[in-house]
Amino acid sequence: MTNEFIALAVPGLLVLSAVFLLLFGLSSHYTKNRGYYITLGTLVVSFLISASGVSEKHSMDLLPGIFNSMLVYDTFGATFISLFLLGGFFTLAIAKSFIDSTDYFTHESFVLLLLSLFGMVVLSMANELITAFISLEIASMSVYILVGLNRDSLKASEAFFKYLLLGSFAASFYLLGMMFIYAQAKSTNLDIIAHYVLSTDIHSQLLIIAGSMLIMITIMFKIASVPFGAWVLDVYEGASLPITAYMAGVFKIAVFAFALRMFLLDYIQFEAYYDILIIGGALVTMVGGSLLAIIQNSVKKMLAASSVVHSGYLLIAFASTSEDTSGAASAIIFYLFAYFISAIGAFGVLSYISQGSAKTINYDDLNGLARTNPIIAASLTVFMLSLAGFPSTIGFIGKFYIFTSAIEAGYTLFAIFGAITAFISIYYYFKVIMHLYFKENPHMKVHYGYKISFAFIVLSAFTVLWGGVGTSLLFNLPGINALNELARFAIESLAM
Amino acid sequence: MSDSTLLSTLLLSPLISAALIFFINMLFLNPRQSLFTFLALTGSGVSAVLALIVSYQSYFHAQVFTSHLFTWLSIGEFTIELALKADALGSFMLLFVAPVSFLIHLYASGYMDKDKSYGRFFTYFNLFIFFMFLLVLADNPIIMFIGWEGVGLVSYALIGFYFEDIQNTYAGNKAFIVNRVGDFGFLSALMLLFIEAGSAGFSFDSIFLSLAQIDPSMLSLIAFLLFVGAMGKSAQIPLFVWLPDAMAGPTPVSALIHAATMVTAGVYMVARFAPLYTMTPDISLFIAYVGAFSALFAAIVATRQYDIKKILAYSTMSQLGFMFMALGVGAYSTALFHMFTHAFFKGLLFMAAGYIIVAFHHKQDIRELQGIRKSLPLLFVMMFTASLSISAIPPLSAFFSKDAIMGALYASGHVELFLMALVASLLTAYYMFRMVFVLFYSQKTQSTKKSSKSMLYPMVVLTVLSVFAGLLNLPELFGGNLNISNWLNLLDKELLLPHAKELLLISVNTLLILGVILYTYKRYAYTQAIHKESQENLVAKKFYVDEIYTLLITQPLHYLSIFFEQKISHGIIDRLINLSALYYARAGILFSYLENGNVRFYALYMLIGVVSGFVYLYWALRGVL
Repeated sequence: MTNEFIALAVPGLLVLSAVFLLLFGLSSHYTKNRGYYITLGTLVVSFLISASGVSEKHSMDLLPGIFNSMLVYDTFGATFISLFLLGGFFTLAIAKSFIDSTDYFTHESFVLLLLSLFGMVVLSMANELITAFISLEIASMSVYILVGLNRDSLKASEAFFKYLLLGSFAASFYLLGMMFIYAQAKSTNLDIIAHYVLSTDIHSQLLIIAGSMLIMITIMFKIASVPFGAWVLDVYEGASLPITAYMAGVFKIAVFAFALRMFLLDYIQFEAYYDILIIGGALVTMVGGSLLAIIQNSVKKMLAASSVVHSGYLLIAFASTSEDTSGAASAIIFYLFAYFISAIGAFGVLSYISQGSAKTINYDDLNGLARTNPIIAASLTVFMLSLAGFPSTIGFIGKFYIFTSAIEAGYTLFAIFGAITAFISIYYYFKVIMHLYFKENPHMKVHYGYKISFAFIVLSAFTVLWGGVGTSLLFNLPGINALNELARFAIESLAM
Repeated sequence: MSDSTLLSTLLLSPLISAALIFFINMLFLNPRQSLFTFLALTGSGVSAVLALIVSYQSYFHAQVFTSHLFTWLSIGEFTIELALKADALGSFMLLFVAPVSFLIHLYASGYMDKDKSYGRFFTYFNLFIFFMFLLVLADNPIIMFIGWEGVGLVSYALIGFYFEDIQNTYAGNKAFIVNRVGDFGFLSALMLLFIEAGSAGFSFDSIFLSLAQIDPSMLSLIAFLLFVGAMGKSAQIPLFVWLPDAMAGPTPVSALIHAATMVTAGVYMVARFAPLYTMTPDISLFIAYVGAFSALFAAIVATRQYDIKKILAYSTMSQLGFMFMALGVGAYSTALFHMFTHAFFKGLLFMAAGYIIVAFHHKQDIRELQGIRKSLPLLFVMMFTASLSISAIPPLSAFFSKDAIMGALYASGHVELFLMALVASLLTAYYMFRMVFVLFYSQKTQSTKKSSKSMLYPMVVLTVLSVFAGLLNLPELFGGNLNISNWLNLLDKELLLPHAKELLLISVNTLLILGVILYTYKRYAYTQAIHKESQENLVAKKFYVDEIYTLLITQPLHYLSIFFEQKISHGIIDRLINLSALYYARAGILFSYLENGNVRFYALYMLIGVVSGFVYLYWALRGVL
C-alpha cells in the first residue's frame, strides 16, 4: 500500500461509512445491532489500515496538486490516527451493553461518532490553520450533539448547550489568533509561517506570538485545562457514560496531535514565552482538578475531575518539549495511550454496571462488587491503580516518562509538584478500591451479560498491566519498549 | 538427554510436581492421597536419580554440568543469568541432598498419612527441594540468594505447618525473623561484592578472579558479613535461637530441613566462597571460634533437654559447630565430609524420633517414653547405631569425618580449639547415650502396635549409609586416599599429622568416648537418674539466652515501636496528614463554588485566563515593544 492510499483511505472510509449508515438507517433493514457492527467494523478496518503506516519513519506532502499543501501525512499523524481509532474502537466495544440497554443511540449517533473521528483524522494531518480549524469544528460539532444525545434528559440537554456555547466562544479565539498570524505572515500554512518566523526578527513577529497564544487557549479549552475547562464537570456528567469516556480518552488525543505539530517545531523559538504560560496552566489545572475530584461523591464526576488533573500532567510534558528533548513529546504520546486505555476501561466498567440507567453511580454503589463480580472489580482496581500511577501498571510508566522529561527540561520543581498531586490522587482513586473490597455488600449478584463488553474490559485491564510490566520475556508481544519506539519514530518524523 | 537438559530437569522436576500438587489440592475437593504421594515421590525421585548420574560423571570423569535457563536481568553491559553449574562441589552436594530428600519424602508419605493437609505438606516439601537445588547449583550469588531465601521461606511455612496452634506460628516467625538478621548480612555482603567486583560479571568464577583487586579490609568486611548469613542459616551463636523452636514442625521437616539439608547451607556457602576466606585468615579464625563456642554451648544445653526432638536440634547445632571449626582452620573438604555423613545419621535419628512420636501418640518427652525397646526392636538397633556413629566410634561413618576434623584442628596449632572440640565431642556421646539409655534401657515397658513400612525402609537405607559412608573418604592412615577431598579439590590447607601422632590422637579420643558412654550407662540405664535432674540450674535454663535476647533486643524494640506507633505515627504524622486533608477538603468545597453551573461564570473564567495570558505576554515582551 502506498502512503497516499493509506492517507486517503482512512478518512475516506470513515466518511463513506458515515454516509452509508445515514442512508441505511432509514431503510427497514436497519437494526441497532447492524448499525453498531458496521461502525465497529469500519473502525477495525480503518485502524488496521492506518496502523500499517506507523512502523517506519516517513513524511510526505499529501497530493499537493489537489490539497495545495494543506495536509501532510507522516508517521506522527499515522500514530495519532491509529491511537484514537483504537480508542474509539475500545469505547464502542465496551459500550455495547450500554447502547443496547438505552433507546437513544439511534443510527445518527453512529454517524456522528464516525464523523467526529473523521474530523480528528483530518485534524492530525492538517498542516494549515484553516483546515485544522474546520476539522476541529467537524469533530467538536459531532461531539456536541453526542453529548446531548439523550433528549429526554434535562441534564444532557443542559450539558449540550453549555458545551456548544462555550465551545463556540473558545473557537472565536482560534479565529482571532489565526487572523493575527495571517496579518503578519501572509499565510496560514504552517511551513510558510515557520519560514517567516525564521527569517525575521522579533519586531515583526509580535502578532504571531499573540495569535499563537490565542490558538493555544482554544487547545487548552478542548483539553479542559483550568481556567478554560470549567465546563468539564457539567458536560461530563450530563453526557452518557460511553460519550464521556470518548471525550476524556479519545478527543484529547487528536487535540494534542495538532498542538504538538504546531508548537513542537515551528514555534519552538517562542518557547521562552509560552512555557511559563503552559506551566502556570498546568499547575492550576492539577491543583484545581484534584481539589474538585476529592470532594465528589459520584464516581463519574470524580473521573471527570481527575481527567483534568491528567491534562495537567500532559501540559507539564508539553512545556518540557524543546528542540533537543524529543523525549517529552514521545512521553506525551505514551501518556495519552496510557490514559485512554485506563480511562476508557474505568468509564467502561461504570457503563457496564449501570446497565444504561441514568442514575449516578456513587462510591457506595460499588460496595461489595468484589464479592459479586470479582473480575469486574479486579479490572476496575487495575484501572484505578493505573490512573493513580501505581507501579507495574502502564499509568506508572506514563507518569515516569512525563516526570523524567520534565526533570530533563529543568522543571524539577514542577515534576515534584506533579508527583504530589499524583499522591493526592491516590485518595480518590483508592477510595474506589476501598469501596469495592472492604465495604459490606448490600445488593445481590447481578448478571450483566454482554460478553463483548466484558471481554474488552478485561482486555483493557490486561493491556494496562502488560504495559506496566511487559517485557518480551514470556511472550513475544510488544511491550513498553515497542510503544516507546513508536512514539519516538512519530516525533522524529515531524522534523522530516 | 543432553547435559544441560539433564541439569534443568533435575532442578525443575520437584518444582513441577510441587505446582501439580498445589493445583490439584486447590481445585479438587477430595483428591486421592495416593496421587499426591505418587507426584511427590516422582518429583523427588527423578531428581535423586539424575543427581546420582551427575555426581557419578563428576567423580569419575571430572565432568562439569552447566545449564543456562534464561537471562533474568539485562541492564546495559551487566546481566544476571539464571544459569546452573554443577562443578565438583555442587555435584557433591547433590550426591547427598537429592537421595536423602527422596528418602525423607518416602518416610513422610508414611508419617503424614491421612493428615488433612497432606497435599499442602508435599507442595511445600517439593518446593523446598527445588529451592535447595537452586541454592546448590547456582552459578552466581544472586541466584544462590534466591535459593537461600526460598528455602528459608519454605522452612517458615513448614515450621508453622500446624498453624491452628498459635505457638507453632510464633516458632515460624521466630525462625524467619532471626534468619532475616543473617540474610541482612548476606545481602550486604553481596552488595559490597557487587560494588567492588561486579564490573566484570557476577558469576562465582569472575568474582573470584577479581578478588585480588579488592582492598583487604573491605574483603574482611565482606567475608564477615557473608558469615553472618551463614550464622543465621546454620544456627550458630548468636543466631541459633530459632532452631530448637523450629522443631514445632512435623518431624520429616526437622529431618530434611533442620538437620540434613537447609541448615548446612551456611557451611556450603562458606565453602563455596573458599577463595575469599583463604584470603582473610582473621575472619576464618573468627569462624572457627564461633563454631567452637556453638558446638560446646549446644552440647552442654543438650545434656539437660528432655524433648527428644530438642535434644537432636541442639545436637545438630553442635555438629554444625564442628563443621565451622573445620572451615575456619581451612579444612574445607573435611567440613563438607562431616556435613555429608551428618546428613545420614542425623536424618536417621530424626526419622527414628518421628517414628517413636507417631508410635506413642505424639509423646516427645523421653521421661514418658521410657522402656520402648521391646516394642520397637529394629528401631532400637538403628538408633543405637546412629548414636554410636555420631559419637564417632570406629569404624562408623562419623568416626572418619569427625576424627578428620579433630586432626585438622590439632594440626592447625590452635590447641584451645582442639580442646573445645574434644569436650564437645565427649558431651555428644554423653547426651546421645543419655537419650538412648533412658529410652531403651528401663525396667518399664511400653508397647505399641503402630508401624508403617514406608517409614521403616528409608531408615534402613540411612542406617546402612551411616555405617559405611565414612569409607568414601578413608584417610591414608587406614590405607585410603581421601577420595572425596581429592574430588572436591578445594583450597584446603595442608594440615597433616605424622601417622604415629594421628593414631595416638584417635586412640585416646576413642577411649575417652567409650569411657563417657560407660559412665552414661552407669548413670542412666535402669535408673531413675533422669527424674532427679534439677530443672533450675543454668544449663537446664539454656543459659537464659532466650530471656537475655528478649530483654536486650525484643523488649527495647517493642517499646521503641510502641513509641513510634503512638507518639510519632499517631501523634505527629497522622495528625499532620489529617490536618492537611481537612484543609484540602475545605479548599475543594471552596473551589466547587466556582463550579456553580452558570455558563456566564465559565466564560468569565476563560476571559480571566485570556487576559492574564496577555498581561503576561505584555510583561514578557516589554523590552521589545
